[in-house]
Amino acid sequence: MFAGFMRQAETPRRWRRLAGVRIFCDLKPRELRIVDGLLHERGYIAGEVIFDEGEEGQALYIVLEGRVLICRQGDPESGRIAELGAGEFFGDLALLDDAPRAAQARALEACRLAVFFRADFMSLLDTHAAIASRVSLRLARYIGERLRGMNRKVLGAAT
Amino acid sequence: MRPRAAHAGPVVWMGVIAATCLLLVVFRAVLWLVVPFLAALVIYYGLRPLAGRLVYAGLSIETAANVVSGTFILALAVALTLLFPRLTANAVQWQESVNRYLDAGTGLLEQTLSSLEARYAVLQKVQAAASVRAQVEGLTDDFAQRHAGEFVMGLVTWLPSLLLAPFLAFFFLRDGRRFKRFLGRAVPNAYFERTLYLLHELDRTAHSYFQGLLKLTVLDAAALALGLAALGMSAPVTLGLLTAVLAWVPYVGSILGCAVVVLVAAADFPNDPAIAYGTVALFILVRMLDDFFFMPMTIGRSLRIHPMLSVVMIFVGGALAGVAGLMLVLPVLGVAMVVGETLGRVVTDPRLRARHAHARRLRSRQAALDLAG
Repeated sequence: MFAGFMRQAETPRRWRRLAGVRIFCDLKPRELRIVDGLLHERGYIAGEVIFDEGEEGQALYIVLEGRVLICRQGDPESGRIAELGAGEFFGDLALLDDAPRAAQARALEACRLAVFFRADFMSLLDTHAAIASRVSLRLARYIGERLRGMNRKVLGAAT
Repeated sequence: MRPRAAHAGPVVWMGVIAATCLLLVVFRAVLWLVVPFLAALVIYYGLRPLAGRLVYAGLSIETAANVVSGTFILALAVALTLLFPRLTANAVQWQESVNRYLDAGTGLLEQTLSSLEARYAVLQKVQAAASVRAQVEGLTDDFAQRHAGEFVMGLVTWLPSLLLAPFLAFFFLRDGRRFKRFLGRAVPNAYFERTLYLLHELDRTAHSYFQGLLKLTVLDAAALALGLAALGMSAPVTLGLLTAVLAWVPYVGSILGCAVVVLVAAADFPNDPAIAYGTVALFILVRMLDDFFFMPMTIGRSLRIHPMLSVVMIFVGGALAGVAGLMLVLPVLGVAMVVGETLGRVVTDPRLRARHAHARRLRSRQAALDLAG
């Protein structure tokens, strides 16, 4: 039973995958190892719900393997919002606060996800401010891009 | 949008209180393990900021834990090596000192009662001073000789298990995060986020409580040492620190600490009872500072327990597990409260249960795919 506890979860293969993730792409290998030490790895089966719309968000999810569907609650067919593959992430606003999730996330196929918990991100801000600020900047840029995209959509629909 | 989970109800609260009582009874049976574990937690939460600074400076968690724990164990070993010969060399003198302090305390009590008898006829009529003297003499006669053996035996029994504490603290520092992930892996996906939140809240509660306890001890010790120095007492810092540590046992510890200082005052100033009365006044003042300023600044905000419940549970803890119960009841209640409230929300959430059942169905269907037909 304790073999799993003693085993080091972090592997070079996972570090390489994480290096390709947008919010971690500015990190040096040594810094990536520190972030990797904070991540939890979970396996989901096709059709399994990862989180629900309206649920209190506690963590950001990074797709390591497989595909994930982001959709309106209980409406995976007509309520599709996005499909995410390896190297992409979702649930990013949960790193900032515990506001309710804006959509539902489901595994489209068997997938492995790395989970970055908000409390661990906050402790990273205390212990490794330089790493956390680089992650925060990347996250802010990503959220800004999404906001500009939504603005363009709204303006396009209005004209 | 799904509504947020409701707050814990009376059933959960009854469960929390019942679990706290049960844990106290169990802890009483395995006190030899609970005490070093608790001491290890105090050391862990005391050393964690230092280890955090080293990690911030660029060391790995393992190296930081090695450096901080190694330095602490080395300092402890040096302190014990220096202290032990002095303690053993002065053992006989200590025995005499205990008797001297007890005699001085009895003298102070007699002196106080005699002066009260002189003022109040009722006390003179019942011969209060004589009857109290007879009872106290029975208790204090050869107190040190009678209890020295028990004290030494107790020390010999407890020392090996107490020496476990720094080693446990080292493993908490080095493997704490890994253990958290290990626990997380055992939790089904549907409950995972909530469980991580629970573990974080547990850590936050314990961290606030033990760091608060250390800060409170420093504040108490400083206030008492200043007051005792102002009264002209000998060794004010040692006495302040001793009484602040004794105050870890709610109520009983403070009274015991006050008694120790009054005995020392009575022995140091046998002809000036005003000093002994001054130490009692100082204790009441520090107690009030504690209740109104120090406690809310340190421990008070960490556990978020209603004051009435705290007081009732302290009595329950004392009744169930004696002095150990008094000491353990608040941190155990704090932890049981966080676990109970979160488990209550997780277990009573029909959506999480449904998601878990759905995942299990999917997994068993996938496992049986090639078995059909």
